[in-house]
Amino acid sequence: MISRRFLLKRLLLLVPVLFGVATFVFAMLHLAPGDPARLIAGRRAPDAFVQQVRTELGLNRPVYVQYGEFLLDVVRFDFGKSYQIQKGAPVSEILEARFPVTLELAVLGQLTGIALGIPLGVLSAVKQDSLTDHLTRIGALTGISVPIFWSGPILIMVFGVMLGWLPTFGRIATTYTYESVTHMILIDTLLSGNPAAFVSAARHMLLPVLVIGIYSMALISRMMRSSMLEVIRQDYMRTARAKGQGANITVMKHGFQNALIPVITVIGIQFGTLLGGAILTETVFSINGVGTLLVEAINNSDYPVVQGTVLLFALLFTLVNLGVDVTYSYLDPRIEQ
Amino acid sequence: MPRNGNIDRRRFLKAAGGAAVATTVAGCQGAGSNDGGTATETTSGEETSGDTDTESGDEGGSGTLTYARGNDSGTLDPQATSSGEDAKVIQQLYDQVIEFAPGKTTLQAGLAKEFELEGTTATLTLREGATFHNGEEFTSADFEATYRRFLDEEYEYFVGADTRSYYGPYLLSVVKTVNTPDDYTVELELKEKHAPMLRNLAVFAFGMISKSAIESSDPLRKNPVGTGPFQFESWSESDGQIRLSRYADHWGTKAKVSEVVFTEITENSSRAQSLNAGSVDIIDGLDAQTTSTIENSGNAELVTTPGINVGYLAMNMARREEFRSQKVRQAFNYAVDTQALVESIYSGLAVRANQPVPENMTGYNDDLDMYDRDVEKAKSLLQEAGYGDGFEIELATFRNPRTYNPSPSSAAQLVKSNLEEVGITTSIRTMEFNAFIEYTNTGKHDACFLGWMTDNADPDNFFYALLHPGVEEIPGGQDWVSFDAENFNTLNVAAWANPDYKQLVEEAQETYDKGTRAEKYKEAAKIAHDQAPWVFLDHAKELRGVNNRVSGFTIAPISGPYLNRVSVQ
Amino acid sequence: MSTETVDGRTDTRNALQRLRASPFLSELLSNRLALIGIAIIATMVAVALYSRVTMDVGAISASQLSNNPADQFLSPRAQYPFGTDIQARGIFDRVLYGAWYAMQFGTVTVGSSTVLGVTLGTIAAYYSELTDNVIMRTMDVLLAFPSLLLALALVAILPEEWGLWRATLALTLVYTPRFARVVRGAALKVLEDEYIEATEALGASDPRVLVRHIMPNTLAPITVQSTLNFGLAIIDLAALSFLGFGAEPGTPTWGIMLSQGVDQGLLSGYWWWSFFPGLFLAVTVLGFNLLGDGMRDALDPRMREAVD
Repeated sequence: MISRRFLLKRLLLLVPVLFGVATFVFAMLHLAPGDPARLIAGRRAPDAFVQQVRTELGLNRPVYVQYGEFLLDVVRFDFGKSYQIQKGAPVSEILEARFPVTLELAVLGQLTGIALGIPLGVLSAVKQDSLTDHLTRIGALTGISVPIFWSGPILIMVFGVMLGWLPTFGRIATTYTYESVTHMILIDTLLSGNPAAFVSAARHMLLPVLVIGIYSMALISRMMRSSMLEVIRQDYMRTARAKGQGANITVMKHGFQNALIPVITVIGIQFGTLLGGAILTETVFSINGVGTLLVEAINNSDYPVVQGTVLLFALLFTLVNLGVDVTYSYLDPRIEQ
Repeated sequence: MPRNGNIDRRRFLKAAGGAAVATTVAGCQGAGSNDGGTATETTSGEETSGDTDTESGDEGGSGTLTYARGNDSGTLDPQATSSGEDAKVIQQLYDQVIEFAPGKTTLQAGLAKEFELEGTTATLTLREGATFHNGEEFTSADFEATYRRFLDEEYEYFVGADTRSYYGPYLLSVVKTVNTPDDYTVELELKEKHAPMLRNLAVFAFGMISKSAIESSDPLRKNPVGTGPFQFESWSESDGQIRLSRYADHWGTKAKVSEVVFTEITENSSRAQSLNAGSVDIIDGLDAQTTSTIENSGNAELVTTPGINVGYLAMNMARREEFRSQKVRQAFNYAVDTQALVESIYSGLAVRANQPVPENMTGYNDDLDMYDRDVEKAKSLLQEAGYGDGFEIELATFRNPRTYNPSPSSAAQLVKSNLEEVGITTSIRTMEFNAFIEYTNTGKHDACFLGWMTDNADPDNFFYALLHPGVEEIPGGQDWVSFDAENFNTLNVAAWANPDYKQLVEEAQETYDKGTRAEKYKEAAKIAHDQAPWVFLDHAKELRGVNNRVSGFTIAPISGPYLNRVSVQ
Repeated sequence: MSTETVDGRTDTRNALQRLRASPFLSELLSNRLALIGIAIIATMVAVALYSRVTMDVGAISASQLSNNPADQFLSPRAQYPFGTDIQARGIFDRVLYGAWYAMQFGTVTVGSSTVLGVTLGTIAAYYSELTDNVIMRTMDVLLAFPSLLLALALVAILPEEWGLWRATLALTLVYTPRFARVVRGAALKVLEDEYIEATEALGASDPRVLVRHIMPNTLAPITVQSTLNFGLAIIDLAALSFLGFGAEPGTPTWGIMLSQGVDQGLLSGYWWWSFFPGLFLAVTVLGFNLLGDGMRDALDPRMREAVD
């Protein structure tokens, strides 16, 4: 069991971190090059017009007033209005439409990674130092060494253009319509009851999910292997084996569960990284998630959108890490001390 | 059919002709007299009325037309954006009182069946029976509400200074008052004579919005109520898709398809593949490598027309003393290999430039030579100017492609090598476009790449907008001004201020006679060419990829796309 | 005083002995995969030094288009083993020179984040709880962002004229907390050992304890972390270039060649433009990952937990 004290302590620790994150993000906006008022007013605007926009935005007020207001707004999930990308639209609204896209991609990628990584890791550990082990490990390390922005375009080239098996961009063929309820396309197309649309969406998802999945698989299988090896080395395993149980059954029965604990940590920590990695994957596959949103916002100096996106990422990342810690301490109570 | 569907053909022609007569007889300015001439204008009027006739018997369109582009819209509110991406959809939803003839730069009747500009008064006679998508009729009250929402800060429904696009103040600030003597008449009083006035009203930003929509609480960003040939259905931001349906009661050329889908496909190559595969019908934003795949596909064709734009390298005379020498500026023009630029970097998607305006604009001067690359001449000019040992500059550029510069980073590398060959050590500074605009607007650059896409297809929009210094008086004996000067025109990033040129473009702005006006601009073009405040780089072509199942698509150098005229098999 | 000196020395020796006696090196050297990694890294370092010494970076960066227009977009052939690009430049030389940039900026990034992280982590472990809290909570804030995202956010506010240094500085700040955390964890374990307490009781001054006892004992986990991070740094630098925040266009870095080649060349069939820089990048990173992975396996399990 997790003690209430542990949980409370962890939650309290979040406060200064999130406060620091918010402060960092605020400072970012004010250090960023470019005058937001000029940005909104546009290239042809006369100076008087720019001045007017500046007043309207409250940029003439002292920084501490703006900072205080910013903190209050952030607590209410109000990140202001977009300067440029969707000028005038509340950033929270933009994020609401974009975030589920990234989440769906990351979750599917992660599941693929787990489904491939855990068996491979176990296999590698059980057959330690065999050819299988070496190949698996080289494969895993290659998986994390090849940059997505190189492998992605090559996959598109081979499967999309040369072989023509898979669509190469976007999330669904334009011929299908569906209602955006959750903004997660697989769920939405299922809800719309159109199997053809679902198939189209799934085919669009395949390459990007695979690219993320391979990366995730590499990390998970590596961790699974070393964790498994450690457990196998431990005494009670030897005892179990001495009692005459077959090696494989022993491994499955005792080892697997224990070995899984540290892997959960990796999966958790990595999920945040995957969300970050979505920036590249989305860019390569032209998927409208928060990753492309962030790049687009930076390219257009749309700072409220940059702020909102960064804050959202940080919040999620922190919460996922908290979740990991709590799960970990639940599985391995020694952690509490 | 509503009554507006059956405009009497003769009456319509008379209206269009009437405006033309006014031009010749009364010496005031009518539709299309800026360029193109009266003949073209009558033709386009006929075209429109002809279409209306054909359409009157038609019951609804068929098929879905998919238009793919590089970015999604940011808003559907015509007054909140200056983005070309947004304009494409807004054009389908809204109409202006005056319109650009499809595929041309001339004007034709829009929601105003007659329009004229005489002295400082512009008079619009509005079409009767044109309806908004909510069923209400368009009247002068809607015009007034649209105008006030855009420009009147006291107005209760003012769009808001932080939302409004600069088009309002930029193109309409010359308007003093708006009067609406009756439901179908609008009179605009101007502060001074302004030749481009009618063209300014044809810019997409002045799409007529329903007064009741303006006064309602639904934000126009996602609840557009216009009179256009298509009405809004849905917008999925996570897929970058906007769906529009045919508006059966449209007053003009009714749509031939039942549905239009605008879809975002970020990667140029992916967009071209989708076109070739037939999953989309029309694409834009083409670059060199995608055009070749379309040409080879057999399923789609490339349509092209000269664009109304210019790409240049501006030399900042306010910041760098070296650039105040005409010889240095000319040396730069001789050093830069624009031939290689348009052919090898832009892959023939652009033509070379030697003056501020492209060939299809009023005021283009045929008698000017190109600055062909000539390393020796460039070196000797630098020598004569006293810079034989060269000097160092920073070349500021932007990261993402623009129409007039489809490959800014490759272009910068070529120019850098060209300049270094004549002894100018160059470092490239790459920025995001918005930050770049601020950098150059405030004169922090030595030299910069920049360009311009026309707002209203008027020569004033090049000559005055980009090279007039803005100041009242140029300091004596000087041909440049400081960026800090009062009223300085920040778009003039060369800080060039030539008194003769200034005089000419000011006069032209108030000249309503087409021939006289063109002569003034030709003279101005020659001064700009010889004085060379810019390295004149290119005029980019407009390009679209169109699938073979599409017919009736006209590529437009300004405004458009005119999707109501398109049908699909 | 003399007792103390002797004791201090003994402890240092003990620590070093432990490091040497630990199966770390022997285990590492018996790891075939790690050896492959070392071979790859050594080759790349050689390539980097060779290019730096023999090539003129100005010449391989300059556009050849005006003087040599026919050489644009040539496929690989004897004269141009990796083909040519849009500016009619040979890609082979540029890819080789890219190794220099990767090694140079990788070293700077990893080196400076190691130094920063080690300093902060040691201070946090050794000094008062308040210092510890201030340092580690600041690190937590930085760790609250996915790394590429934080790097992007930082790059967005740094002046663009810094070129590749902009990305380098951003990544240094991104990596520092990891080192600080590893070092702090390892240092705390060392501090738990009584001998430090004994030394302290005898009056050794702060810096001496830090330098003599803590540093040597945290050396192994830091080395592992640095090696793993080196590969990451090379990828991340290229990723920032890919997203448009790298060196001046035309500079022969793998990231820039890759991004231009993918953007403007892949669909037209000029695959060589992006393929070779990407291949070199991937192989180099693989080298560091093979070595780092082997090192981690060879590490004392107690320390392994600290390295992520």
